Amino acid sequence: MCKNMPPLELAIQFHGHICPGLLIGVRAAELAQKQLEVGQDSDEELVAIVENDNCSVDAIQSILGCTFGKGNLVFKDYGKNVYTIISRDSGRALRIAQKFGSTAGPASERFRELGGKPILTDEEAGEKETLIGEIFEKIMSMPAEDLFAWQEVVVELPQRASIRKTVRCDSCGEGVMETRASSRDGQILCPECQLK
Amino acid sequence: MCEANVYINRVSGEELLMEKVDRIVPGEDQSIFMENIFGERKVVKARIREMELVHHRVVLEEIREESHPVHEELWLEPSTDHGHFHEGEQVTLKLFKGYNMKPGPDTAFAGLKAFVVSSEGTRELNIHDHHGSYELVLGGENDGLLQVWAEESEGSSRRLASVLVEVGHHHHHGLKPAGLELEIFPTDYSHARMGESYEIKVLQHGQPLVGVEVRATFAGTQQKDYPHRMVTNEEGKARLFLTSRGNYLFSVSEGDLISTFTLVKSF
Repeated sequence: MCKNMPPLELAIQFHGHICPGLLIGVRAAELAQKQLEVGQDSDEELVAIVENDNCSVDAIQSILGCTFGKGNLVFKDYGKNVYTIISRDSGRALRIAQKFGSTAGPASERFRELGGKPILTDEEAGEKETLIGEIFEKIMSMPAEDLFAWQEVVVELPQRASIRKTVRCDSCGEGVMETRASSRDGQILCPECQLK
Repeated sequence: MCEANVYINRVSGEELLMEKVDRIVPGEDQSIFMENIFGERKVVKARIREMELVHHRVVLEEIREESHPVHEELWLEPSTDHGHFHEGEQVTLKLFKGYNMKPGPDTAFAGLKAFVVSSEGTRELNIHDHHGSYELVLGGENDGLLQVWAEESEGSSRRLASVLVEVGHHHHHGLKPAGLELEIFPTDYSHARMGESYEIKVLQHGQPLVGVEVRATFAGTQQKDYPHRMVTNEEGKARLFLTSRGNYLFSVSEGDLISTFTLVKSF
């Protein structure tokens, strides 16, 4: 692609489709970039602590570059749309929390209802398309203050991801990260083989 | 019979709809639900025409939707997958006739002409007919924005289709309407992104057309009719929030004339 991809498009391409959760993540990522005056992470200058594992986190990964693979995405399983973005360069951290009920409404309810159906009629598919358009405009047009509460916080900087040695499991023969292997009866075992 | 292949009779002929179907449930709204052994599911508007149990074959007959009481319209789409061409690259556009960005069965054109406005002036274009698929071939163009339009007269009905084609990048300057009898024109070409508003202006012989309905749709819509309808304000302008990837089509009617404008997006 010879044109720079806008953040929203980055998120959609990464996630595969447009949905309300992804759009919440897009708004959170863009808010973090604006408030912290940062762009996209290259090599762990940014860290994201996310308190859910829903669609929004794919926007955080694709737009901010805080990814599972790089190790600068920290997941806390709290089930909350809360994102703390840390800039190692400036030492600043921003905690962004979605306001309760900020995107609620009949359109969201009906969209969720249709999303729970295993198969849709042509009419329902058309209705779902209309609903996502309405929700899309609402989320992307809403003032950030109505969608989120945010504040700068002090957090302990997570360690940078480190590369560990790979050792061979004496039971299955596969490679396993040294820090995940353990020794039993003189054998080095991967976590899977330890359970056998 | 354990499972069967389901075929459907359409206007275009019989086609395989789903293989290895093990469950068929007729609905109350003339729909038929089916599920196969792989867990795939489909719902179609159809009636069961024949069940050949020995041959593991079920034939459905399609129930055609009522057509909309609307006139067909023309629209143009550049033959590029990323919204623009590069300098020297062959610029081609496809011409369609149908409604709501869905090509209709009528592929015949009457009194068809096409033109391009570039920095070198206005010239008429050759229209190539590839077995019912019409294409405008401009050739290798210079860096800049091209305004292309096609027009057709069929009895008392007249159709116009226009599009802006970007050759190269970042052309945000100095565009003027082509002066068509009925024209939809963007007020700011530089902003055409999903997640943002896009404003167009409707002109009749160059003058703003106030209070007219503008329809808008997008590629791949699942709606049978146009999903968006706006009305132009006192400056002839209307605004749409873009919520879909790919190209959009704006359409306006005035008397026997229908005019469309294709908004080509890179994303």
